[in-house]
Amino acid sequence: MSRILHLLWLSIWRSSLQWWSRRSFLITIVIGRAVTPLLGLIVWSAALPGDSAVATYYVVLLAVQLMTVSFEHHTLSNGIYAGNLGGELLAPKPVVIGYLGENLALRLWHLVFGMPLIVLAAALVGISVEWPAVAMAIPAILVAAALRFVFTYALALSALWTERAHGVVGFGETLIFLLGGTAAPLGILSEPLRSIGQALPFWSMLGMPAEVAAGTLHGSAIVAAYFVQLGWLAAGTALVVGVWRVGVRRFTALGG
Amino acid sequence: MTTLVSVHGLEMTYRAPVRPEGLRAAFRALVHREYRHIAAVADMSFDIAAGEVVGFLGPNGAGKTTTLKILSGILHPTSGDVRVLGFLPSRRRHEFLTQIALVRGSQPIGLPTELTVLDSFRYQQLLYGVRAADYQASIAELTEMLELQPLLDRQVRALSLGERMRAGLALALLYRPRVLFLDEPTLGLDVTAAIALRRFVAAYAARTGATVLLTSHYMADVQSLCRRVVLIDHGRLRYDGGLDALAADLAPYKLLRIALADPVPVSWEDFGTVEESDGGSVTLRVRRDDAAAVTGRLLTQLPVVDLSVTDPPLETVLDRFYRAEAK
Repeated sequence: MSRILHLLWLSIWRSSLQWWSRRSFLITIVIGRAVTPLLGLIVWSAALPGDSAVATYYVVLLAVQLMTVSFEHHTLSNGIYAGNLGGELLAPKPVVIGYLGENLALRLWHLVFGMPLIVLAAALVGISVEWPAVAMAIPAILVAAALRFVFTYALALSALWTERAHGVVGFGETLIFLLGGTAAPLGILSEPLRSIGQALPFWSMLGMPAEVAAGTLHGSAIVAAYFVQLGWLAAGTALVVGVWRVGVRRFTALGG
Repeated sequence: MTTLVSVHGLEMTYRAPVRPEGLRAAFRALVHREYRHIAAVADMSFDIAAGEVVGFLGPNGAGKTTTLKILSGILHPTSGDVRVLGFLPSRRRHEFLTQIALVRGSQPIGLPTELTVLDSFRYQQLLYGVRAADYQASIAELTEMLELQPLLDRQVRALSLGERMRAGLALALLYRPRVLFLDEPTLGLDVTAAIALRRFVAAYAARTGATVLLTSHYMADVQSLCRRVVLIDHGRLRYDGGLDALAADLAPYKLLRIALADPVPVSWEDFGTVEESDGGSVTLRVRRDDAAAVTGRLLTQLPVVDLSVTDPPLETVLDRFYRAEAK
């Protein structure tokens, strides 16, 4: 286990260095990822003037978005297309370690480069967060980050079947935008849309931790949300393991 | 001698979708796909003993890289029994992976290019669990043999192709693999770099007793490293034996190069088939069995000042063989 953790740490370090050398590009993708929460902030602040909860929610959502970004279509899918998977399979380590390390490195840089945006947005709209709520949201952010990685990784593995993996992952990103709480906070939707949205995995990846941190989710609703989130993480992990096994079987039967 | 690589009845068949031309066929293919089975490797068998350096030859698409991928564990064969170091490669067990290396000339280093060569070595040390003492010894040895000292603190992205290949080879050998698969290791290298690489592989194999299976389109690689060659074509094994005997087996003729003292009219067709004539000298193709007799006749009948008898170049022999097979 310590060897795996050490390899993961080295992978984060290597990827961080690699991405630092592409920092100009990195800043553009950070801005790209920040656009939709900021748009939501502008639109819903205009629609519900004086509602500080909505403003707080979107600023926290921006932070959650930057901490949970996943680019496995660029790292994993492009690696498969470039013919790197064969070499990865021959390294005496789980293939996922390298991609997980790169994912974590990217999130780290997103947070670093995105921090000025978060601070600026928070100062401009005047958010009010309660630190107990933020503390309660930390596990949710970690599970959301894991869930989003698992979800994107599974979609990115479609590169083993098709050359359109970017489209597949892009469709998944669209679902996260529409149903995850960016297009509209699920809390302000009417029933049954709200319940349906909260039961789907997309809210667990983005909106749920933001709602917990913003203090718009309370008591038993938080517990229920955690159960849903952990359930989807278990299901997503099982799915990605299954897709990986079938995909690698196909890859090793057809060639790289 | 212990057999380290054992291949028996190896088959690898791909299923490729096919359809006739035209829009109607394209629509029909949406609901009813048809496939053709393509045999990349068919009924191949050979064994390689510990310490052997074997050349794996064949034209493009012959199945060389496919076979190497099967032997290293990237591909799962359709059928047949393959064992490397006693392991089934396709299972990719940790103990197996830490004893083999696949080096591809097309992808010498698959690591982040921002890291220095020494960073990459450190990562490889941890990845393969190389003990500190062995790591230091390997680094010292590989640095000396591959002249890596000026490269150690440089970023991988700043290396030339030849330097990348040297660094990639050193990375692959850091954990001292017992079986080394080299797929076109001199691809794209200049003459000097290619010679250095060949010299290194030969020295490494001699020093460590590693088993090496090498594919290359450059006959110089094969001639300088391999005493045994395995020749495949269309996925089938065509020859397995000594490199010396390959030319005799595939080309039943020798080349006689003759230079005369004075330019006299000669009916060369009486001696053999003219391969080349450049005024001062003539190259004749003569049946292997007749070479001695023809040489005697040339020396007695003509004012010969220089004469050499050689096997045809391996490239020529293989070219003729491939073209004959294609027909």
